[in-house]
Amino acid sequence: MGKKVTLIHLNPGDKAKVIGFSTDHERFKNHGVGPWHKRKHGMGMGLARRLQEMGLIPGSIIEVIRNMPTGPVEISVMGTRLAIGRNIASRIYVEKI
Amino acid sequence: MNKKLYTIALAGNANVGKSVIFNQLTGGNQIIGNWPGKTVEKAEGHIEQEGTKIHVIDLPGIYSLSTYSEEEIVSREFIAKEKPDAVINVVDASSLERNLFFTLQLVELESPLIVALNQYDIMENKGLSIDFEMLSSLLGVPVVPTIAVRNKGLKELFEKSKEVIKNTKKVKPILYGREVEEKINILTSTIEKEIDTFYPPRFIAIKLLENDTSIKTMVKNPDIIALAEKLKKELTKIHGESPETVIISERYTIASRIAEQVTKKKGKTKINIGDSIDKIALNKITGYILLLGLVLLIFYGVFKFGSYFSELLSASFELLKPIFIQLPLPPLVNRLLWNGLMIGIIAGVAIVLPYIAPFYLILALLEDSGYLARIAFLTDNIMHKLGLHGKAFIPLIEGFGCTVPAVLGTRIMERDRDRFIAAILATLVPCSARTVILLGLVAAFLGPVYAIIIYALTFILMYILGRLLNRYIKGSPTGLVMEMPLYKKPVPKIILRQTWVRLKDFVYFAFPIIIAANIVMEVLTELNWIVPIANFFKPVMTNWLGLPPLAGITFLFGILRKELTLIMLSTLYHTANFAEILTPRQIFIFGFVTMIYIPCVATIAVFKREFGWKRATVVAIGEFLGAIVLGGILNQVLRIFMP
Ligand SMILES: Nc1nc2c(ncn2[C@@H]2O[C@H](COP(=O)(O)OP(=O)(O)O)[C@@H](O)[C@H]2O)c(=O)[nH]1
Ligand SMILES: [Mg+2]
Repeated sequence: MGKKVTLIHLNPGDKAKVIGFSTDHERFKNHGVGPWHKRKHGMGMGLARRLQEMGLIPGSIIEVIRNMPTGPVEISVMGTRLAIGRNIASRIYVEKI
Repeated sequence: MNKKLYTIALAGNANVGKSVIFNQLTGGNQIIGNWPGKTVEKAEGHIEQEGTKIHVIDLPGIYSLSTYSEEEIVSREFIAKEKPDAVINVVDASSLERNLFFTLQLVELESPLIVALNQYDIMENKGLSIDFEMLSSLLGVPVVPTIAVRNKGLKELFEKSKEVIKNTKKVKPILYGREVEEKINILTSTIEKEIDTFYPPRFIAIKLLENDTSIKTMVKNPDIIALAEKLKKELTKIHGESPETVIISERYTIASRIAEQVTKKKGKTKINIGDSIDKIALNKITGYILLLGLVLLIFYGVFKFGSYFSELLSASFELLKPIFIQLPLPPLVNRLLWNGLMIGIIAGVAIVLPYIAPFYLILALLEDSGYLARIAFLTDNIMHKLGLHGKAFIPLIEGFGCTVPAVLGTRIMERDRDRFIAAILATLVPCSARTVILLGLVAAFLGPVYAIIIYALTFILMYILGRLLNRYIKGSPTGLVMEMPLYKKPVPKIILRQTWVRLKDFVYFAFPIIIAANIVMEVLTELNWIVPIANFFKPVMTNWLGLPPLAGITFLFGILRKELTLIMLSTLYHTANFAEILTPRQIFIFGFVTMIYIPCVATIAVFKREFGWKRATVVAIGEFLGAIVLGGILNQVLRIFMP
């Protein structure tokens, strides 16, 4: 079994199983609340749902196509390609396989 | 068919070919492009046949009936509330699984459904084949394979849609797993007894279990809500996931199962050349070099093409002048005819069209190839500094064509805050009218380098403004989630048509304004009002900006359309050789101020429509003052370098 990492830690060609998302609630617990522009971007429930509707359901297998050093991550999921901004990608937990 | 009027809606994921089908069916002019999110408003067209009229509605792309972004609200509300007589669900055959996820929800909504299995050619290129008859029996709705861009299968699609309209039998539901189905049934039977809405009870039950807030607000009934909460808890207990995750993943399981059953692998997958292109086009170094090179090439190309034809056309029109001057008419009429009407037409044809036409052509190529979405990918991290994400770059690029669709196009942003910031920036993007001034005045009479400097100044300004807006407008920004379209070989027919549609709009909309403005100007000249008006602007124009007083008048006309500033200049001085009228510094300042001083009336109008009067006024006045202040400062600084 692979380690639990976030999407941004994977390299092109890596395959992984989606585990889940860290939502706002968890994050605020960990990081507290600062001036909003210094906070990380929020992943509300709406966004988590959207990602699931695009095929990123816990348990589904994804493949990383591209991982820009400071930019978005491109993955292949459900037979389509998805570009995901770095901030969101950093809060999608996966297990490398 | 006995009613007189029917409605067919086109619904489906983004970028599957809905607008192509719409245009083919109705002869409409919807913008087509290879990136998700270009149709932001529903469009209507109609077909008349044997005394019946059929409205066809093209909807924005939508991934789910749980609403997330603004464009999706338009689609869901339309399908659910307006109850079209038939819904054509356009599906991308080459990624069936993901598309069926939405189809299943339309079945849940009990829409009178028909599936168009589009992009059949692309699916075949992937080495796949689909048993569409089996798909039809599994879904319980008619399925028609189509290749929209080649007009294949659309006739049959239309015939089948008419059958669906006639036949009102209910589609049987597609069942979830046993536990979920149990909960749905309990909830459905209670809902059936208790409330009566335009949504089917089973649909409400599923959406309640899925945690859909807008359905929850609509239901109100506390007993039902309480029951739903209880059932949701049970679901979570059994599956260890949130109820919406359970439902979404079960729905995906169904979609995958169906897709697997009907899809056959035949032959080998052709290697996807898109992946090889992306190795360069999206590489962290070559990607940006390519992007920059392409942008420079485009502008250089448009400039070369434009200035060549502009000169050629101006010279040919000059030949007409003697003929007009000698017409046996009273001198006043003669002057109005030539200086007002003809110069207006000539300006439109000779100064504006040569730059705009190639520009629109290139824009259409960018749109249809799929590269636009790559630009969004590459610019995502820059846009984050402005509190936006990569998708915002797409309306900004559209803004190089015209600001009005760019402001509308910001609807692809998911939140109001992001939309507002993107729309403000969009008003500053040099639209084709401003490009005419930059290329036709600054580049042509000062040199291309100076035009590039003005572009650069504008972009720096946008960057600073974006950062400030991001800081001071409340709310937290969202990130990028975008489907990456496959590269497609642009279809010449679609490219040419799109270019033509935009040019036609420009000619119909802009020419009358240009000509009317010219005639007004000529009348002002005849009345000797020009000098008093100019003197009124003198303090700002001459003392602060260092421009000739007459420039104030041209700026006034520029509020109507930006290219009028240049055209009016040539009308006032009776020449198109601007080097005779303006010093180099004046050309530079003139170009810079025109870039930003105010969006044109059409932009203000669309801004008002999208964001309300208050915000529209603030933006218009803000940009006006900003241009005057910055233009003046620039003028004082430039004094040192350019006497
Ligand atoms: N090869 C191929 N391309 C298609 C087909 N249908 C649409 N397209 C292309 O797919 C892209 C998206 O089409 P559009 O109608 O704008 O999609 P919409 O978002 O669903 O309205 C465009 O680049 C079209 O040229 C098809 O059947 N075959
Ligand atoms: Mg469309």
